[in-house]
Amino acid sequence: MATVEMRRPVELIPAGQQGLWGWPAVLNFALGGLGAGLYVVAAAAAGFGRSAAVIAASWIGPALVLAGFVAVATEAGRPFRGPRVLTRGRTSWMSRELLIGGAFVVLAVADLAFPLPLFRVLGVLAALVLALAQGFIVRRARGITAWSVSLMPTLFLLSALLSGSGLYLLIEVGEGPRPGVFVIAMVALLAVGLAAWMRYVGWSSEPAFVRAVEPLARGRGARLIVGAGYIAPFLLVALGFVVPALVGPALAVAGVLMVGAQFYAKALLILAAGQFRPVTLAGLRIQRFVGEIPHGVRSPSSQRRSS
Amino acid sequence: MRWGMVIDLKRCVGCQTCTIACKQENGLPAGTVWRFVADVEVGEYPNVRRLFLPMQCMHCAEPPCVPVCPTGASRQREDGIVWVRYDDCVGCGYCAMACPYHARHLVHEADGYFAQPTPSELAQAHPERHGVMTKCTFCKDRVDEGLARGLTPGVDPEATPMCSVACIADAIVFGDLDNPESRVSKMIAEGRAQLLMPECGTEPRVYYLVD
Repeated sequence: MATVEMRRPVELIPAGQQGLWGWPAVLNFALGGLGAGLYVVAAAAAGFGRSAAVIAASWIGPALVLAGFVAVATEAGRPFRGPRVLTRGRTSWMSRELLIGGAFVVLAVADLAFPLPLFRVLGVLAALVLALAQGFIVRRARGITAWSVSLMPTLFLLSALLSGSGLYLLIEVGEGPRPGVFVIAMVALLAVGLAAWMRYVGWSSEPAFVRAVEPLARGRGARLIVGAGYIAPFLLVALGFVVPALVGPALAVAGVLMVGAQFYAKALLILAAGQFRPVTLAGLRIQRFVGEIPHGVRSPSSQRRSS
Repeated sequence: MRWGMVIDLKRCVGCQTCTIACKQENGLPAGTVWRFVADVEVGEYPNVRRLFLPMQCMHCAEPPCVPVCPTGASRQREDGIVWVRYDDCVGCGYCAMACPYHARHLVHEADGYFAQPTPSELAQAHPERHGVMTKCTFCKDRVDEGLARGLTPGVDPEATPMCSVACIADAIVFGDLDNPESRVSKMIAEGRAQLLMPECGTEPRVYYLVD
């Protein structure tokens, strides 16, 4: 018998699906990103103006963020201890999310009530940091293979802006043709978002990562996220430019697809790609059988073939 | 003083005595274990190896579960023991997501094995653990009480974690990693001890003797 050292770390305990974060967590990430993204996009489009869209975003955005917080609270084991979550802003991104989310709500409502540029600027900053904080929450989940990726905060920020842009289109749909600059910026955002998404799903060739992101990278997940969330909106924008009479409906459909696809992507990320890292051991040695297998001893596979 | 463990996989026979001893000592409810022994077959016929891998909290020197905790319930003592202050825990599960070693367990409702709780289950009920995160504590109460009585954890059974005390093969050794004369330090110094997944950067304090 010879002893062989395994070249790669051996998987001793396989990856398993996390079961602690479900749809309430998905709602928190999706609605929080949507609300924050909507406010940023509306503010960017309006500047310091008081468009109907930015007024709507100033209450829809905070409402969505608050709805997300309420949703995730239902999943906690002791939800009435929720205020304690505010106490670890120095170290925990979950604390920071709640703190900055609260600040965003206050600033957005203040912007609604008192039209001062300062509230608008701070509200936009708070919304951006909220989207990033959600990405960092997922990034710091070191036990989940597909989440602990350095690109995650960027992905969440882009997702927030994309879904916010989609919702902004729906809010603005009754107002008539969009300013060209906004649509061009949205197309650029789609391109950057798609590039980031493709970079993420191909981030690592490690078997555990590839298995975990398969629902995102292949099949229906890929079709809906990439096809419906990025390519279709781009084509619809192009349609709107080519056939001006269809610009309203085309952008409305693009908006629905962008919101829906980002929601779907987050759902798959949390519910399907949320697989605990397999436990591996490096340098394991196995005794290697040298020579012929003794007469009468058959491998399990040959036994199955004959039976 | 920094507590740690060395587990000799060539001694472990997979009897699960440590699993049950821990469960009994800590009054864990049905369906919950703070440690388990994985029965693993590695390789491909005819070159296969079977080994038993005891798994529990690694009480890492750089625990990823502590900084992510939004309430400060997940904390680390100076002697390295990572524990949860149940009264502060909100049960968000974030620490479980941060742990690469599958070491954390959230019990929403403590079910019994039968329709009505047995006298034993009633006696060992821990309502403070419902809806919060629970995990191996290196039997810190036993360790602390033993130290207070002048005993030596890892040497005196009354001051040693139950898994180590109960192990029929002496495969689980507990002791002070900062004491070069401790049994764990000597075993590590022999050079065969290795860590699980050091690439995670958590610096676990449970070592394994594999070969």
